Amino acid sequence: MVNLTIDGKQITVSRTATIYEAALEAGINIPVLCYAKKLLPFGACRVCLVQVEQMKGRLIPACTTPVSEGMVVTTMSDEILKVRKTVLEFLLVNHVIDCPVCDKGGECDLQELTYDHEVVCNRFQGEKFNLETDEVNPLIERNMNRCVLCGRCVRVCDEVVAYGSYSFINRGFETKIATAYDRGLNCEFCGQCVSMCPVGAILPRPFKFKARPWQLKEVDTVCGYCGNGCTVTLGVLNNKVETIRFNDKIGVNDGNLCIRGRFGYSYVNSEERLTAPLVRKNGELVAATWDEALQAVADGFKQAGGAGLGILSGARLTNEELFLLKNLAKQAGTANLDHSGGECYKGLTEGVAGALGVAASTGTFPQVEECEAILAIRSDFYETHPVFGMVVNQAVKRNEAQLAIVADKRGKFAKLPGAKTLLHRPGQELEVLNGLARVLLDEGLARTEGVEGLDELRQALADFSAEQVATRTGVAAEALRETARQFAAAKKSAILLAYGLPYTAYSRELGIAAANLAILLGIPGRDGSGLYLCGEKANSQGVIDLGIMPQAGGLGAQAMLEAAANGKLSALYVVGEDVLTSYPDRGKVEKALDKVSFLVVQDIFLSPTAAKAHVVLPAASFAEKDGTFTNAERRIQRVRPGIPLPGQAKTDGAIFAALTEKLGGNLAFTGAEAIFAEIGRQVPAYAAVTFNGIGPQGFVWGGEILAPARRRLQPAGGATAVDGAFQLLTGSALYHSGTVSTRAKGPLAVINEAYVEFGRDDAKALDVKDGDQVKISGNGVELCLKAKVGNRLPKGVLFAPYHFAAAGINRLYKGEAAVAVTVSK
Amino acid sequence: MSEAVETKVEEKEIDLAGANEILDHYEDMPGALMPVLQAIQEHYGYIPEPTVHLAAERLNVYTSQIFGVLTFYAQFHLEPRGKYIIRVCKGTACHVRGANRIGDTIKERLGVGHAETTEDLKFTAEYVACIGACGMAPVIMVNDATYGSLTVQKMNEVIDKYVSMD
Repeated sequence: MVNLTIDGKQITVSRTATIYEAALEAGINIPVLCYAKKLLPFGACRVCLVQVEQMKGRLIPACTTPVSEGMVVTTMSDEILKVRKTVLEFLLVNHVIDCPVCDKGGECDLQELTYDHEVVCNRFQGEKFNLETDEVNPLIERNMNRCVLCGRCVRVCDEVVAYGSYSFINRGFETKIATAYDRGLNCEFCGQCVSMCPVGAILPRPFKFKARPWQLKEVDTVCGYCGNGCTVTLGVLNNKVETIRFNDKIGVNDGNLCIRGRFGYSYVNSEERLTAPLVRKNGELVAATWDEALQAVADGFKQAGGAGLGILSGARLTNEELFLLKNLAKQAGTANLDHSGGECYKGLTEGVAGALGVAASTGTFPQVEECEAILAIRSDFYETHPVFGMVVNQAVKRNEAQLAIVADKRGKFAKLPGAKTLLHRPGQELEVLNGLARVLLDEGLARTEGVEGLDELRQALADFSAEQVATRTGVAAEALRETARQFAAAKKSAILLAYGLPYTAYSRELGIAAANLAILLGIPGRDGSGLYLCGEKANSQGVIDLGIMPQAGGLGAQAMLEAAANGKLSALYVVGEDVLTSYPDRGKVEKALDKVSFLVVQDIFLSPTAAKAHVVLPAASFAEKDGTFTNAERRIQRVRPGIPLPGQAKTDGAIFAALTEKLGGNLAFTGAEAIFAEIGRQVPAYAAVTFNGIGPQGFVWGGEILAPARRRLQPAGGATAVDGAFQLLTGSALYHSGTVSTRAKGPLAVINEAYVEFGRDDAKALDVKDGDQVKISGNGVELCLKAKVGNRLPKGVLFAPYHFAAAGINRLYKGEAAVAVTVSK
Repeated sequence: MSEAVETKVEEKEIDLAGANEILDHYEDMPGALMPVLQAIQEHYGYIPEPTVHLAAERLNVYTSQIFGVLTFYAQFHLEPRGKYIIRVCKGTACHVRGANRIGDTIKERLGVGHAETTEDLKFTAEYVACIGACGMAPVIMVNDATYGSLTVQKMNEVIDKYVSMD
């Protein structure tokens, strides 16, 4: 700690603090422009100049100067004021000063500073450049005439996003911020630059001329897309979500968002939202009253009889709603309850739960930034959880964490400095993890104290020597050894694995293998270390915590579909999920939905699944709900309604409650708060906090470091090799999440249809170019898809994202790790 | 990707073998961007765009960052340049002794002014501040050869010489 005096105030701060940070701690405000909390000090704008007794003769930038013992700082004097004013005049020389039509007006740092310092005229004159505005993409508008060259966009895109869209180009007066070759922006469109820009140079286009910042009502809630659980602050005007506001004060994401969080909100305002219940009459879905629809559902359920009804839920309902759903299932007398296709989450509920006695990640996201070694299983982690991916970026770029990626393609992580990709043949993740475990055991690097099942694992890994694994997977034996040693030596390490609907193959086994590795490395329960199995949807963890899984004697999702297709289930109730589009093996789903005599779908859109229903119930989006989500690190966070429900739509919770009553049940509790309390009585981990006690950072059940109940190694088995000259992988595209993002303008602006991605070598050999239509055949199905050529995929590997209904990737993908396919033009 | 976002520009046919060879040598060397770019310019005469993308990928540096470097330094050229680079000194001494007339002669004969290249990619003219040979003013350089104490007539002779060369 260091003692110093700022404006006569004695303060003690950390040795690593800058003068600016020290002042902030003491409650003294020094104006800044280029400074941003999450970025490294830069010192570009010179607005934060202060006087330091020990550094006489010049003014010192507060944001880049570290504190030192006995420092005496003055933050305001006539001289400082004069210089700051001059700095502002300089900044305004080339500026267009078009505040009346600038969307930043009212929350522009330059405007505020100019006003505060009363810069009423400029003593200097210079060229106004009249640079062209970048309006090539529909999401981010760049008007460099308003730029003050603070470099915050350049830095955030490098330091946090690790994409590197921007750079300072040219020099001297001509310096400006531009992309390579000064073209239109073409990037991930996460909009981090938008959130960082202190002026109106980089703005969200969808928000253009929509509202003045002060007109917006701000509602802090949690993003409805992935399991990352980012805080999104809705900017609401006239009951419409007009934008997502920057907020780095609360939540787990430090103000960072991905394209889905920042630009994917428009689906909640969509004209296509379901606004009234629909009931099928004479083969047509027609609008009905709630009473009629609910009665039809209750009658249908009763007719099916308890065991004849199956319930498939999505993972974007709130915990409170899930609780009511479980209650409803009980009231309807069925044990057939499941979510997310029933397979993809088994790595957590069977794998990790078997190993550690808890079905959850053991650490929290911010800890990963401090990890020395990070193992990412599957390169898709950045695609499924981009904002957690940004934490990994920072760990590697800022703290020099060693990153190893077990993957079948070279994703974005592979480009991070020093990142090592253990590139394996498709579907062989499991083999590589087993190989790593074997090296740890062979070389005596494993931590085996208090570990069960060691001998069994040794036996099970008999055929997984580094050399054997190398032969089967294509990963060099030496690379496996090196990685294992690196992780064994690291004090804090993290293992990351994303799961979700497009990743059902070896789900359970991968969970086991990842848990084995974690146990052998001593990760569970160790300070700063963690095993992270991250769900695809906003409340994937809540669904597991609340037990939306087959109840005693009940069927799982896949068994339900089979039973329905065989006529053994007569009614299906699908909630918040487009099973036809997203579940593996569409043929199987189709058969089930066509055969079942009563299908109820509860959704916010008339999805392809809903179009087949007998009754459609209009539900609510995340932006209309009150309750809680639990993210992939067990953080329970408040979801708050920002806008009213469209038309007659009801929240899923209200529908469950009404249905329970129709079925003769009686709910003794109403409102999210009461239900949350009730959840605590049934799920002990949730009893540690009350609904209103959930703070701005949420509440992590089980604590930041979840202590494992046991450490049991389990044999994970091996993976089967996939034959064929071409192997198709499916998964998540960065810009989308599940199927709902295909209704959101932001993600659609970047990727609006399905595609199949080729590596460059394959594309060249096949003479396939970007945009060509190609035919992909496999599993007896032929699909016609648009080709996309990239540099991520090794030879013989193709990738197609699963989000788009029309493309029908899941006709071809039936839950395999990879599908052998042929390609023709 | 939607058409609105599509900004990729047709890559010109460039043989990347030379650039790849240069990168083979520097790939594992941290901070090698400047020598790589200089070597690429040496090889191609300028920095073709495909080589920038290649260098970005192989050196794992952002393309934008390379572009920043390329536009910062005057030594890098993003457009093809002539086989013969005529540097016309316009420093004080040369200016006083008629450098403008030398520049005009080149413009008249070859049709190129400062930083311009003839269509046949044979000549590029460049006006520079001083080449440090004031005693020979007015002076020009054609690639590495220096021609001093020029007159319009002498300048014409120099141009004739190079026009007749390959």
